Parts: sequence; structure tokens; C-alpha cells
Amino acid sequence: MSNANDERFNADWFANVLRRDTRLLVAAVPLVILVLSAGFVYWRQFTTGMGVTGLNRPSYWGLYIVNCVFFVGVSAGGILIASLVHALGVKQFRSVARIAELMAISCVVMAVTSLFVNLCWPQRMHFILLYANVSSPILWDMLNVSLYFFISLAYGYFGTRSDLVRLMSIKPRHAWLFRLMALGYTDVSPKALKRDDIILRVMAVAGLLAAVGMHSVTAWILGLTKARPGWFSAIMAPLFIVSAAVSGLALLIVSVVLIRRYLRVRIKDEVIRRLAQILTFLVLALGYFLFAEMLTVFYGKEPAVLEVFETMMHGRYAVFFWGHLLLGLIFPLLLFGVVLAGIPRRWVIIGGLTLLPIVAGIAFVFGLAMPFAKVVGDALPGWVGYAAVWIVGLALLQACANERLGEDTRLGIAAGLVVLGIFAERWNIVLPSLMGHSALPLPGVSYAPSGLELLLVAGIYAMGALVFIVAVYLLPLVESEEDEPPPPVPDRSGIEGPRWTTIEDIKPPRWPEIKPRWTEIKGP
Amino acid sequence: MPRYGMVIDLDRCTGCQACAVACKVENNVPFSSPELALEGRTIAWMQVLPFYEGEFPEARTRFMPALCNHCEIPPCVTICPTSATYLSEETGIVAQIYPRCIGCRYCAVACPYTVKFFNWFKPKWPEPMVAGLNPDVSVRPKSVIEKCTFCSHRVVKARERADGEKRKLKDGDYQTACQEVCPAKAITFGDLDDPESRVAALSKSPRAFRFGEDLGTEPKVYYLREGEWDVERER
Repeated sequence: MSNANDERFNADWFANVLRRDTRLLVAAVPLVILVLSAGFVYWRQFTTGMGVTGLNRPSYWGLYIVNCVFFVGVSAGGILIASLVHALGVKQFRSVARIAELMAISCVVMAVTSLFVNLCWPQRMHFILLYANVSSPILWDMLNVSLYFFISLAYGYFGTRSDLVRLMSIKPRHAWLFRLMALGYTDVSPKALKRDDIILRVMAVAGLLAAVGMHSVTAWILGLTKARPGWFSAIMAPLFIVSAAVSGLALLIVSVVLIRRYLRVRIKDEVIRRLAQILTFLVLALGYFLFAEMLTVFYGKEPAVLEVFETMMHGRYAVFFWGHLLLGLIFPLLLFGVVLAGIPRRWVIIGGLTLLPIVAGIAFVFGLAMPFAKVVGDALPGWVGYAAVWIVGLALLQACANERLGEDTRLGIAAGLVVLGIFAERWNIVLPSLMGHSALPLPGVSYAPSGLELLLVAGIYAMGALVFIVAVYLLPLVESEEDEPPPPVPDRSGIEGPRWTTIEDIKPPRWPEIKPRWTEIKGP
Repeated sequence: MPRYGMVIDLDRCTGCQACAVACKVENNVPFSSPELALEGRTIAWMQVLPFYEGEFPEARTRFMPALCNHCEIPPCVTICPTSATYLSEETGIVAQIYPRCIGCRYCAVACPYTVKFFNWFKPKWPEPMVAGLNPDVSVRPKSVIEKCTFCSHRVVKARERADGEKRKLKDGDYQTACQEVCPAKAITFGDLDDPESRVAALSKSPRAFRFGEDLGTEPKVYYLREGEWDVERER
């Protein structure tokens, strides 16, 4: 089946480049409107003050920081996959490497914007360097994120350059555009390509280090704050790294499936299945980390930390915790299991239908209340809630056991759930520690993002999506795997205009030979 | 170098809120409203917080004036990305440079005592009160963090007066607004390093404790525990 499926996705390597695609245009128009209105909201926030958001004391941070942490994670995860190809030579993922890089770049743009709108004084940004405080994690985060941004840009550039040169001969009318994007460096001799390959390999390792560093420092912004129980924990940085890998890989699967479905680019079923297998193990690792954290908290029973976890599990946003646990961890694992092991549909139905009365019965007999009863209220008895959760899970499993949907779509659904789950997890990390515990008896004020705040965040998402759409319009999304070297750049000697310096024109300096000094020293 | 600190005798505190009002007037702290208070956006450098104990027939309320603790090892100073908040070497006061604050609110998050306040909007006063603002204290713009400064503008005045009278600063020259108005004389303020000062003596009292001592922030605000003078079972 998979072979037949692969044959459907056989678009030319460069088919999407500069193609006037109405679907992209239709998608871009509302996104541009969203970005513009978000710009207006930001102006409003800038002139009126942060009061237009839902932030308060003690929830000084909210959705902006949650967003920032989430997108830093997704971006780091994207670079992780892209580096596998070039640093470790996992050739199998070559076809998704560029999509992963693009995702990493657009996500880091969203992360930086989220952080930027959280500051109130953009005109004082340079003070972070001018009056630098070396013990501030924010300084290190800023340095690390900018370093990471430039590394991922350069990494993307060296990975795309040879394809851009190929495009120059395929689309001669727009050759200037691709020459511009290749920054005029159009040398595609085997020597230059080999040099590119070495640079890519170094960049991949550097990008990997920068990604791990960036996400660790972001974790330490929270994890080094001893005033906040729940944040102040050594597991913060490792947990963030695992979450980053999970969210990056999951969003990569979703975008690969979407791009493949809509643009029919040449990505094999096998690749998506392989990514999903890795994701399954990473989700298990995430579950292990969360278990380690919870065990320490509930075994130690430190009152302040317990208060935070109480807020997280039974407070106003308990849905986020249980939603992450069920829809972001447990169900995706089952879904991946069903799809990857190819369990037939009727087995899923039989298994589900036998378990449903058992689960609901246990809840009924023991009178189990829903864990977020405080939010739902006492309107529903507990067993109804458990049964509802079970039915949702069964419906999802049903969909994932349905072979007509295509394997990639089903894996995409499961990966999408994982992405949403990680967003909820980020919320659960950032907010309960702020809302849940206070050393002083402050009146319990909880945080809810305001409408303007949500609009601004939607605008940030739209901006990330626009970056992606522009890239889809301008760049080949899959590294071409043609064996022959790209055709040489057409001769431009007859064309008037500035001559572009190629790397060949620059002669390397000749270093004087240095004689090793020890030859002059004579033995005793 | 002096190391200014405060001792608050909870046994004397009547919860009258005079300190909170005096602080607002002295430091140009903008007014709040019931709506702002419900949103959790009140600014109050000094607030008298109630602790409730027990169930109805045996219930009682304890009061605790809460202000910036001016830690010796302040978490807010450690993490401020622009060094806008700093620990003064000369006085031991933790202060804030408003024009340098970028409004990231990290210090407010990192403060274990939640006593750093953010200006969510531009501060507003009723028309007649604008003329009555204290000229010694800057009015903060929107979107900066502010907090108790131990009325640090007063130490400048006290020092100038002492210089004019050709003498050294002595205990009691420099008083904070909250200390001045406290009708029960519950608040004592002064140099903790000066062995003669009242605040140094009180801070060594067996009743003395500091808030969140286990955090290792070394606060310079001491509280004197309430004594239960007439406990039936111990009579």
C-alpha cells in the first residue's frame, strides 16, 4: 500500500517554487489581516500600558511567556531533526530536513516576538547589553536565542544554496531572485559543494549545541527562581529539552503531512512512519520525566509545591493538566501503537466496547469524581465524565484504525494531539507556580488572558505561518536528490550589470611557513 | 557604612493601616479602586495583610504589615537583566532605577515576598491632589516596576541636615513615613550595624523572626512575634 501511496506524491522537485497557488493566497490574506490587527493591538498595549492584558499580581507573566517557551521548544526540536541529517548523516530524513529548518526558523521568529511583546520598553532593549548583569538568565537567553537564530539562518542558507543555483537555470527569468537569495555565491563546482558539505556539518553540530543551550537557558529563567515552588527544580532543563524534542518532532510530522498532502512533494511514507516511531519513544521519555517530577512532589509533600500542583490539577485550568495527560500523552501513545502496529479496526472496537462499561462501572461503584470537578461543577456524576473521556478516546482510536484515511493522515492526527498537549504542558509549567502559591496571604486573583492579548498572540501565530508560506513560495521544500551536479551558471559575460564576485575570485592568503622551534634545540 | 533595617512589633500593631496610607502619600503611589483591587493591580508599597486563624467562635485575625524586605541577598537584583534594581552599598537599601527598567517583570516573579509592583497603566490622581504630590519622590511612568525604598529620599535630607549641623547621623535622624505615623510605635527603623541603635537591639530579641528565612535571602525587615500573654491552658 505504501508504495502506491508514495507514487501519488511525485511532484517535481521545484514544482512549488514561484507557482501561483490560489490556496496559498487564500491562506495568506486572513493571516496578513491578523498580523496587521496584532500590530494595532501591540501599539495599543505600548501606549496604554500592560493593563490591556489579563496580567496581574501575582501572575506577572502569562500567555506571552507560555508562547515563547513553547515556540523556543518547537524550534529547538526542528533543528534537532535537521541536524540528524547533516551531523550524523541520517540520509533517510534528508527529504524532511529543509521543512524542519523552515519550521525552526519561523518558530524562533514567533518565540522572539512573544518575548518582545512581553517587554514594555522596546526602546530600552539595548540596556540589556549596555548595563549587562551577568547573573541574569534573561541576558544569556537573549544572547543564546540570537546566536541560535543566526546559526539556523546560516544553516538553512548552506543547505539550500545548491538548489537555488539549480533554480537559476530552471527559471532563468527569475534568476536574479535566486542569485540574491544565494547571496551571489553561485559556485557549484564539486570542490565548492564539498566545502558546503563540511560547513553544513559544522553548522549542524553548532546548531544542535545552540538549540540545547537556548532551551536550557530558557528553562533556567524559570528553574533558577527559588521564589517560585514548582519552577525551582533541577528537572526543569532536562524536562524542557525532552518536551522540545517532542513538540518539534510532532509539529514537524503535522507540517510534513500537510505539505505532502497539499503540494504532493516527494516524501516517502517510510520517512513519516520512522519519525512517528521516534516520536513514540520521545513521548514515553516525556512521560517518564513527568512521572519523576510528580513522584518527587507527592512523596516529599512540601506544602508550597503541593499548593502549586493542587492548583495545576484541580484549579481553574485543571483541564489543561488532564487534557495534556489524556490527549497529549496517553491517547497519542495508543494511537501511534494502533497505526504503527496496524491493529485492525474491529479489534479496536471490540476492545474499547468491553473496556467502556468496566471503566464507567469502576467510576460508578467507587464514586470517583472527575479530577477537575471544581471547574465542571457537580452537574454531572463522575462516571458520566469518565465514560465521555472513554468515548472520545475510542472515536480517536477508531479514526486511527481506519485504513481509508491513509497512514500519514492518521499519524498526523496523533502528532497534532501531541503538539496541543505540549502547549498545555507549557501552560502548566508557567502559570500554576505564579497563581498557585504566595508566601503572603494575597487575595486569590487568577489570570485569564484578555481579548486583546489573545488577538496579539493570534497575530504572532499568523506571522509564523506567513514566514512559512513565503518560504513555500520561494524555496524548494525538499532537497533534490539528483545525482548529477547542478548545471553551471549561465554565462553572463554578454549581460550588462555588476559583476558578482564568486568565491573563486578571492585568492586565499599565503601564510608564511613557520619553522617549528624545537628543531633548533639540541639534546644534552 | 550603615545598614538600614526595620523591626515591626506585631504585638503592638493594631492593624490601623496608618502606615499604608502614609506610605502612599509620601511616595506618590497612585490610588487604587475596588475594580483594580479585584484585578490584582493595586500598588501598595506597604500593606497590612490579615491572617485568619481558627473557626468562628474561636476565630481571630492577626495583622502583618508587609513591605519590601530589603534582602541582603536579593533575588530581584540577581536576575534583573539591566541592573535596574540594585543593592545600595551605602545604605543597604534595595532600590530601583525607573528609567532603566525595561518592564520584563522578572524581578516581580522572582521576589519570594511578591512586594514588587508593576505600573499596569499611567498613574492618575484627582486634580486637587496633583499639587500635593511629594516633590522629593519621582512619579513613576507606566510599565515600570516599583517598590518600597525605605523612604530613601529622607536619608539624603537627614544627611544634609547633619552635615549642616556639623555632626554625624544619629539614630532617629532618618525616619520612614510609616514609622513616623504608627500610633502604636510598632515600627522601629534605623541602622542595624549601629550597636547603640534601638533597631539593632530589637532585632536581637528572642521574639524576632524574619519572613521566609529558609530562602536564604537575609531580609533586613524583622518582625517581633506576638506573645500570647493570657493563655487559659498555661495559666
